[in-house]
Order: sequence, then structure tokens, then C-alpha cells
Amino acid sequence: MKHSNITSLVLFILLTLSTSLSAGASDYLNDIVRANAYYAEKQYAESAQVYESLIKEGTKNGYIHYNLGNAYIRMGKTGPAILNYIHAQEWIPRNENLAANLKFAIQQTRDKIEPPPPGTLNVLFFWVNDFNINELVYFAIAINFIFWITLILWMKFPVLKVTRNALLCVLLLSFVSIGVKIKNESDFKLGVVLAEHVDVKSGRAVDAITLFQLHEGALVTVTDRHHDWLEVHLNDEQKGWVPQKSLGT
Amino acid sequence: MRVCTLKIAALLSFFLVLTLSGMSYGQNTSVTATVDKNSLTLEDSLQLSIVIKGTQNSPPPQLPSLPDFRVTSAGTSSSTQYINTQRSVSITYNYRLTPMSTGTILIGPAKVQISGKKYSTQPITVEVQKSSNRATITNKAAFVEATLSSNKAYLGEQLVYTFRLFHRVDAKNLNLQLPFNKSWFSKEELGEPKTYIKIVNGLQYHVQELSIALFPLKKGLVEVPSAIIELDLYHRSQNRSGRDPFNQIFRDPFFSRGVQAEHKVLRSQPLSIDVLPLPDRAPKGFKNLIGQFKIVAELGKKDLDVGDTTTLTVTVSGKGNVRDISFDEPDLKNQFKIYPDKPEFKQTVHNNQIRGEKVFKFALVPLEAGRKTLPEFSLPYFDSEAAQYHIAKTQPIFLNINPSSAKEELNLVQSRQQEMPLTNPEIETLGTDILPIYTELDKFQSDNVSSFAFLGAGFGSPVVLFIISAFLMKRQNRMKYDVAYYRRRNAYKNANQRLKQMSEHSDSKEFARELSEILREYIGDKLNLQGKAITAEEVQVRMKESNYEIQQAEETRKLLEKCETLQYAPMTQGSTKQLLGESENLIKVLEKQS
Repeated sequence: MKHSNITSLVLFILLTLSTSLSAGASDYLNDIVRANAYYAEKQYAESAQVYESLIKEGTKNGYIHYNLGNAYIRMGKTGPAILNYIHAQEWIPRNENLAANLKFAIQQTRDKIEPPPPGTLNVLFFWVNDFNINELVYFAIAINFIFWITLILWMKFPVLKVTRNALLCVLLLSFVSIGVKIKNESDFKLGVVLAEHVDVKSGRAVDAITLFQLHEGALVTVTDRHHDWLEVHLNDEQKGWVPQKSLGT
Repeated sequence: MRVCTLKIAALLSFFLVLTLSGMSYGQNTSVTATVDKNSLTLEDSLQLSIVIKGTQNSPPPQLPSLPDFRVTSAGTSSSTQYINTQRSVSITYNYRLTPMSTGTILIGPAKVQISGKKYSTQPITVEVQKSSNRATITNKAAFVEATLSSNKAYLGEQLVYTFRLFHRVDAKNLNLQLPFNKSWFSKEELGEPKTYIKIVNGLQYHVQELSIALFPLKKGLVEVPSAIIELDLYHRSQNRSGRDPFNQIFRDPFFSRGVQAEHKVLRSQPLSIDVLPLPDRAPKGFKNLIGQFKIVAELGKKDLDVGDTTTLTVTVSGKGNVRDISFDEPDLKNQFKIYPDKPEFKQTVHNNQIRGEKVFKFALVPLEAGRKTLPEFSLPYFDSEAAQYHIAKTQPIFLNINPSSAKEELNLVQSRQQEMPLTNPEIETLGTDILPIYTELDKFQSDNVSSFAFLGAGFGSPVVLFIISAFLMKRQNRMKYDVAYYRRRNAYKNANQRLKQMSEHSDSKEFARELSEILREYIGDKLNLQGKAITAEEVQVRMKESNYEIQQAEETRKLLEKCETLQYAPMTQGSTKQLLGESENLIKVLEKQS
């Protein structure tokens, strides 16, 4: 009797959990369909609102950012559009439509600043920018699995020594690639000017000297953060401070 | 003596510096805020000065929230004064505040922290009034106006927005902000700003005029908000004569002492425009062309042979968005080979109206002889002045194609090869747009970074698998080569199997003998000895040596002795079972200890 009660309880919990999970997934897909429908009906502001709410809930998906970027382009908001295309690139880095739309959006800006060229580390690990972090992790897991299986087989068949060593190299390389990716995402932060124009100051003060002006959609590299100010970097000669609220990162 | 004088001078200097610095540190710190005016109009700006006395090393003050003003820095200044050996220092932070709305506005206290102590300024109330009306504006030194070419327009029709700045005195540092909502209009520059002189109510004004073409993108009543221009006006004093020849050279306000600068913010009146939708029943092929257009088609040679080339030129000109016009290749399949050329586009701006001409060229190579007719080109458009749709058409063109001679056929092949670079169609970009959104739901699976549990399982499980496999393989190898290990590992299994088989024995002597043998062989396997050959006492000794508990060793000896005794004495069925049970228990206990 007691045993059957526990079984019923476990079944009930599992059923409730699976129902709530599927209900959550269903709501999420409904929102996507709704946002896409708004877009198709040219109600871009409403469409953007739904996509934004999904992102605020913590959803991480490159295609949502891509669609949101399109909605902003249609609304004439180049800055938020570029920001979302940049975010989309973190998840769908090889998407050709995304690259084309980002290029289009940059062409719409006044400053027409292209994304900064890759650094030395990125030139060496040229493949890192073509994969998102999840893909690199899955690859490393797969190689890790193959390596350890090969190691087991090698104990039985010593002829597999070369394969074992090659796999070890690939595994180490995949770990370093993940490290480079994480370093890129933490150090090399791109920012997009969201305000119509922003004065880049020589210091973190409103009355500091204005070094140059950037306009909506301008792409900058954020190199430092201090309270409500961000240090932005265009090139070795052009860098300065802007209020945090004027920049999207 | 000289050294002594130097020492006295140094000592005096030290005390002087100490005294002065002590005086300056002794000065009280105070922070005050002042404005240069507390009543102004939307056209003016005021200067907010925050004076910090008692130090020159303070951080910039933290201004209060000023949503009704646009705030720009107007620099800092510092001063040091000595009055009767009293030294006073101060630093002034200046800000220019440009009002964005009217009414009574409170400038809250600015805050600054000096040496860990917080200071606040007193709040200031200012009165902002609307600008003077249009009638009095004309008497002013400067004013602005904005006009639209029409207050009604069709979707996509060109409108001209004109902004004019009228000024009677020098105007410098112009900063113009034109108001356009990108979602309502697309815009196109109409050339450089114009400058001219205009008499308004008998007063001579310099006019700077900027025109922009606007193309409405959405229908409905749209308000074009005020254009805002910030500028500095330089008023010259009248008594300084301009007859001085140097005055002509140094007319720039920078060189003039009798010049007073005034910072102004001028706003134009907001405008409204009713954007009308295009009427229904648009003709077939209408591609949102709005304006007035003409279309002309011309053919280079009208009498030619098969394989010869002639050029069909279609010229579209007119007022409106000519740039957007495109034509498909004429439908001349099996009659001509067609090589379209890149269209040429020229744009002119005349009387603030964009006019353009686009020329399409098609190289035609006839494939068969006979009298042919080139179809007409039609261009449907909406005439915004007449408020109706029109279709501009070319006339059909007739041409005569003669059969080619053999020599000419040869030329045809050569000619084609030579002409390839000329006639190879270059793909023209007629417009750019973003690529569409994704709607496939399978693409919207969340890409959240994998959890630690997943990563742990992914990276850890193969390692665990390896450790288990390595352990098993090592054991397998040892079993193969290490006899003692093999015997020890299998001792319990063998003994247990034999004990189970024994339960069916009926002969008590044989039972006791075999039980004794099983026990001794178990011990022998465990200790890698010849089990059958050892005595009960030897077993006890060896077990003690092998770190078995003394009690278990003794029990084993006793059990073995009992078995030996029973081999020569009769035994009941019950005692056989008891002995078997004792043996099984003993082996289990010994197995746990090993």
C-alpha cells in the first residue's frame, strides 16, 4: 500500500513537471509566432516588444536577436538593430543573412564604422570566431570522449599510440579554443551607440573636453567601465569616455 | 658666515610657506550656485556657475537632474587672491542651460564632496517663457522659419522642407538640429545651403536657407516638430566707426572689442502634413512611381543583317523618384539576343525639385531575318499634381532584318566574342534592403550555455569509464599471471560451490573429510599454500602470520580438528547440518577479513 502511494506520488510529480515544461515551451513558441506575425503585418514596434520580452526572460537565441534587429531596422532604429545583430553573431556566427543585414545596417549609420579587425590571438585561432561557445564545448566533449576511449583501446592495442597522441593534441587545442572564446567575450566587448549622437569626452565628467562625436549605430570597442562611464576605443588615437546609457553593449 | 646666512634665509622661507599654507587651509570651504539670469525665454540660455571657495582641488560637482534643460559645459575657472596676507582660493564650474520647456523650473541643489564632507548648493527657481510672437520677431536680430512645399502629399511624393535663418548681426557657431522621424520620412539633400539678402518689413536680413526633399513613408496626419538652431549672435556697438581701414580687415568678432556675444536657441514653428494614401485601381505594373515622367525609345540601326548589333535606348526623364525606375528586358525570345547595359542615371535639382534622367540601353542581335516590331515600353506612374494614374509609353519600333551572308556569319561569331566585354550584362543594384526574418520554429530552440552538470557529465564520464576499464584490465592481467592472486580471488567462490554440493552427502565420515578438505583448501588458496597438506595447527599459525584475527584463526583450527575427529566417529543428520552451517559462516567471516 505504502509502495503504491509513493509510486503514485512520483508519477504525479513527473506528470506535473512534464506538463509545466511543455506548457512553458508552448508559451515560448507562441510568443515567437506572435512576434513573427506582428512583423509580417508591419507592426514592427509590437514585434520588437515581444522579442525584447523573450530576451529579458533570459532566452538566448541568435535568431531572436536577428529578427529583433530586423524589426528595429524597419522602425528606423539603427543603433539597437546593430546591437542585436552583434548579439546574434555570438550564437549564429556563420549565418550569411546576418552578415548581410549587419553590413546593411552599418551602411545606414552616419559614421559607417565596421567591426574592429581581429587581434593576433584571433588570427592564430581563426576558427574560434566561426563557432559559438556551445559548438566549441560540444566539440571538446566529443573529442574528449573519443580520446579517452582511444586511451582505453591503446592499453589493449599499443599500435594506437599515434592516434592517441593526435587526439590529445586536438583535445588540448579545443580547450584552448574555448579559453580564447571566453577571453574574447570578456575582454573584447563591442558597444553600439544608441543615442542620436554622443560626445566622447577626455574624462569621466560632463565638462571634460569633447574629443569627437559619434552617431547612432557607431561601433566601438569598450575597454573599461567606471560607474556610469564607459571607455570606448575606435583606434589607437581615438578613444575617450561616454556615458553608459548612451551605449548598448 | 655665508653658510649661516643661507640657513637663516631657508628657515624664514620655510616659515613663510608654512604660514601661507596654514592660512589657506584655515579658510572655510563653501559651495554656492548662481545664474546669470532667472527669467528667460525659450530662445535664451542661462549660465549656471557653481563656485567652490576654499579649495581648487575639488572634483566636478554632481549636477541635479535637469530634464527641462539641455546642459552643456561652459568650462571652469579658478582664482587665487591675497588680501592683507589672507589668501583665498576658489574654482568655478560653469554650465550652459538651454530650456526645453516653459514654466517655473527649479534647479535643484548641486552636490560636491570635498575631503570627505558633502556640500550642497541652494536651489534656484527660474522662469521660462515662450518666445515672442511672429510680429515682433521681425524686429529681432535673428529669427528662423520652416516651411513645407505643401501641407498635403501622397505617400512617396516629394516634399520640400525649407529652413531659413534670418539674421541682421553676425551669426557664428551654428548648430542646427532638423527634426525627422525616420519611420515617417526618407530624406534627400537638395544641395548646399543658399545665402542671400532679403528685406523684411524694411529691415535688411542675411538669409541662410537649407532645403531638404522629404518622401513620406506612412499615411496619416504627421507633425514635423520644430527645428532647433543654436547660435552665437555678435552685436556691434554703433559708436565704433567703420571708417578705420583696419576695421575692414579685422571684421571678425574675435578682433573687435565693441562686440557683445549672445547665445541664442531659435525654434521654428512645428508643421503638420496630411499624408494621403495613393488611390485604388493602380494600373498593372505600377511600382510606386510618383511625379511626372516621359519615356522615349530609340533604335540605332533599323535596317540590319542577322548577326549585326543595334542598340535600343530607352530614356526616362521627369520629376520624382527617377532613380527607382527599372525595366525588364523586352520580350524578344527567339528573335533577338539581348544584352542589357548598366543604366545611366543623372540627377539635377532645379527650384528645389529633384529631376532625373535614367537611360537604359539594350544591345540587340537579331537571330532571324524579316520585318520585326519591338514592343513598346510602358511606365505606369501616379501624377501627384493631377491626382491620377498615368501610363507613359514608347511607340512601337519597326526594323528590317536581312539574311546574312556566309562571310558575315563568320563575322557574327567573331563579333560576338569581341563584344562580350561590352555587352556582358553587369548586375546593377537597384536597391538594398535587409534579408527577411526567420520563422522556422525549430531555429528558436534556446542556446543557453550548458549547465555545470552537463559539462561535468560530458567531460567527467569518459574519465570515469577509463578508470573503471583500466582497473578491470589490470585485474584481468594479474589473474592471468599472478597465481597467488588468482587463487585468493577464486577461493571463496570455489569453497562456496563445493559447500553447496556437499549438503546432499549422507555418509558422515566422508562429509567430515570433505568439509575439512574444503576448509583447508580455502585457507590454502587464501594464503597461497598447499591446503591439503597442512594441519589444523599450521593453519592457525599461518593465519595469525597473515594478520587474521586470533579468534578467527582459533575457530578455524577448532573446526578443522572437529572435522578430523568426526571422520572416525558416527554423526547425526542434525550435527552434519550444524557443522556445514558453522563452516559457511566461518568462510564468510574470513572472506570479509581478507
